[in-house]
Amino acid sequence: MTELAQNLIDGLGRGSIYALLALGVAVVFGVMHLLNFAHGELITVGGYVALWTLGGNWSWYLVAPLIVVSAILTSLVIERVAFSRVRGSSDFTLLLTSFGVHFVVSAMFLLYVSASVKPFARPTWVTNTYSVGSLNIEVFDTVVIVVTVLTLIGTTLLLQRTMFGLSLRAAAADFDTARLMGVRSDTVIRGAFALSGLLAGIAGVFWLMRAGSINPTAGINPMLKGVLAALIGGLGSLRGAVIGGLALGLAEVLLRSRLPDSVASLTEGVVFLLIALLFIFRPQGLITVAHAERV
Amino acid sequence: MFPRFGRDVGFPILGSAVLFTVFLAGALFYQSTQGRAAERLVTVMLIDAIIVIGIQIYVGNTGVLSFGHIGFGAIAGYAFAVLAISPAEKLKRIPDAPFGLDEVLLNPGLAIAVAIGVTLVVALVVGIGLARSGAESGAVAATVITLALLFVAHEVARNWPDLTGGDRAGLSFKVGAALDSRLPIYACLLAALIVARLYAQSRSGKLAVAAREDNLAARAMGVNPLVQQTAALLISVVVVSAGSALRVFENGSILPDDFFFRYTLLTLTMLIVGGRNSVTGALVGVAVMTVGRELARRLGQDGFEMFGLGLDDGPLDWIFRENLQTVFLGLAMLGFMIFRSDGLLGDWELDAWLWRRWQRRRPEEPMPEPLAEIAPVGLHVEVDRRGPALEVHDLAVDFGGFRALDGAGLTVAPDEVVGLIGPNGAGKTTLVNVITGIVEPTAGRFTVGERDLSAEPSHEIARAGLVRTFQNLRLFGALTVRQNVELASRVAARHRPGSHPPVETLIAEAGLWQVRDRRARELDYGSARRLELARAAAMAPDFLLLDEPTSGMSDTESTEMIRRVRHMAAAVDAGVLVIDHDLNFITGISDRIYVLDQGRVISVGTPDEVQADPAVRAVYLGTERSG
Repeated sequence: MTELAQNLIDGLGRGSIYALLALGVAVVFGVMHLLNFAHGELITVGGYVALWTLGGNWSWYLVAPLIVVSAILTSLVIERVAFSRVRGSSDFTLLLTSFGVHFVVSAMFLLYVSASVKPFARPTWVTNTYSVGSLNIEVFDTVVIVVTVLTLIGTTLLLQRTMFGLSLRAAAADFDTARLMGVRSDTVIRGAFALSGLLAGIAGVFWLMRAGSINPTAGINPMLKGVLAALIGGLGSLRGAVIGGLALGLAEVLLRSRLPDSVASLTEGVVFLLIALLFIFRPQGLITVAHAERV
Repeated sequence: MFPRFGRDVGFPILGSAVLFTVFLAGALFYQSTQGRAAERLVTVMLIDAIIVIGIQIYVGNTGVLSFGHIGFGAIAGYAFAVLAISPAEKLKRIPDAPFGLDEVLLNPGLAIAVAIGVTLVVALVVGIGLARSGAESGAVAATVITLALLFVAHEVARNWPDLTGGDRAGLSFKVGAALDSRLPIYACLLAALIVARLYAQSRSGKLAVAAREDNLAARAMGVNPLVQQTAALLISVVVVSAGSALRVFENGSILPDDFFFRYTLLTLTMLIVGGRNSVTGALVGVAVMTVGRELARRLGQDGFEMFGLGLDDGPLDWIFRENLQTVFLGLAMLGFMIFRSDGLLGDWELDAWLWRRWQRRRPEEPMPEPLAEIAPVGLHVEVDRRGPALEVHDLAVDFGGFRALDGAGLTVAPDEVVGLIGPNGAGKTTLVNVITGIVEPTAGRFTVGERDLSAEPSHEIARAGLVRTFQNLRLFGALTVRQNVELASRVAARHRPGSHPPVETLIAEAGLWQVRDRRARELDYGSARRLELARAAAMAPDFLLLDEPTSGMSDTESTEMIRRVRHMAAAVDAGVLVIDHDLNFITGISDRIYVLDQGRVISVGTPDEVQADPAVRAVYLGTERSG
């Protein structure tokens, strides 16, 4: 029982980060039908910002907002340089464009910064824990969960209460009709990328705090988590993305603690396999989003 | 009629041989100028070419983006290595190999064959999974499944050291036991080219391409895309497996990272740079990317000195660094996707080009005779009622809370032209969508003769003789006019009984003879509509279902369309159900008319009777008058 409760808390902490990543992926997918395989690069860039600033003995309290800002800017730059040019292209082109961005960014860091793993200082409280009854709870997980909840509340308010949020939701439901209703596609798409960058930035701060190092291909892992979680949730659905992220986090923690040791190192593979099976038996994801093709 | 030997067999083989010769000659020439240093580069390129062509067979013909083919390659590579490496070597690396594999030794040829077999089994399972996920061109779920395969194969290879030698050591041949001749590579490349071209020209290949262009329309033409995609996958996996086994054999070793992300990126970039829809393109892509990467590598290493230029490249040192080829690769992929997503060659094929030139030297094809004359339009002939009728009973469809159809029913006799009319939102298109298997009915059923088709998938309904056109034009855009019609004709040849109208005659009949070799996407609107009609007629349907065939046409064009529809339907001996909201058109074309309003049939009868019906006047003409 205790173990299960412990797993749940660990899984929620992990899943919260995935939820933020997945939400960013889903927001962009909603307006552009683009599954963004370059989403992890926002964190890679943030990682190098952290490396350089922390190397200059900056405080994490200054570095964290910088990471978020750099992720938003990177997201906007990538949109401008690459994605704005393939708007409306076939899904095939969109998929490979985002892969191309991923490879170019990581290759740039590989070539012009360093191929090796560079460590940086983590905040001292990351590894602290406190006990509630028989549970050991990480301070870090607590912070992650609290910040995630706040971010989700903020995002919900943004989407529900502002004109931009309304445009974004309208565009996600039916882009063409939204445009006819006077929604400006440029504004909405850039806004979506900025929001996606913001969410990735917040997730990135936690990701980097825990990792304590950066390398050119560090973006692959968070990208995969975000994309997979968004897929589990059914891509178009923002609520689904959050649920997908939490589900993925919990699944990983549970698998890792329950699988026999000999296969525990296969966790990633097992998660992938489960997701492939999910697609085979429920291609629309856990949360069904109705999207009728007009015939 | 199919296949045409020259176009679909002879020229593809000839073209592949020419391609192979040119490619090889170029490579060997380069090698002769560079000496032994280039030998390895050329060998690697030849093997890459086999694998890229293998991937092209699937990605090109189906349009499904696969990251998994290198995962298949990993499976084949390990299977080959485990079987072909001598027990003495295995004793060093994998003494505890399961299933007694540490004792097994096959000769390389047999080992490749077994490796292909093992990989095919996996591919079949993955293929069924892909089919279930509803794979179609650009489908995200399908791509993720292939990505999962790549990752799972990699993880298993890393974490099963008893079989694979794990992450560090891997498996390797005894020094000197690796492949030392290029002959098997040459043979395999030539075979890969021929297989890829023959498949593309085969029935399955053509149908797969149709589904790539428009999945829904292909299904409505009786194509089951999942069967064709699976066929393409299996053939493609055979080629990729053979290439991967050779890659391991030539390398003399295998590690998990040999068949992972980097190699996937390399091969996919080669494919899209050359043009994924073309075998010739794939080969060109391999050449271009190999040369480009080599240049980038040397530029990164030596700067301008590689060109023998005495220029001072000092200021550029910060750009020209080791591993420059990695950036080059990423930029190539990104650049082509943004600026030229169909690659250098698009879907241009050497042998198809040669074939067209060959054809041009022959006398102009004569325009075929028109179809036999039939009774003049408007004359109500006593129809022969031997054939079965299309009967639709009490259809209901709910979209969420909205009831689009509410107990609608109708009957179409063979040889009869029935109109279905109603205001916007009356449920006309929904009704056609239901009886072509695109929308599932909430209640009700429909039959042709004795056969209940209500639960059948689209392609089965089409094969049973219900063939439709679409309100918003769904042609196979990249195919020519002739290929569009031919495709339907191919399906008909297998699945429709009785005689079929010749493709050429139908094209001429639709007034498209002059543009028969144009791509469908280049046609003007009226021609495109007529092509849809001709394509549907080529299915030799029992019933033609036409969804607003004159939408967007002028009055003159509409009148012309009336004549054409009646003429074609009579020529292929089909009943017609035609939807429109243009009252003039419907009364001009139909023997009987059903009027639909809010999902219900409110009136039925001859054009005169319907026009006189007060209920119709209230609902239909009433709205028209006030509008």
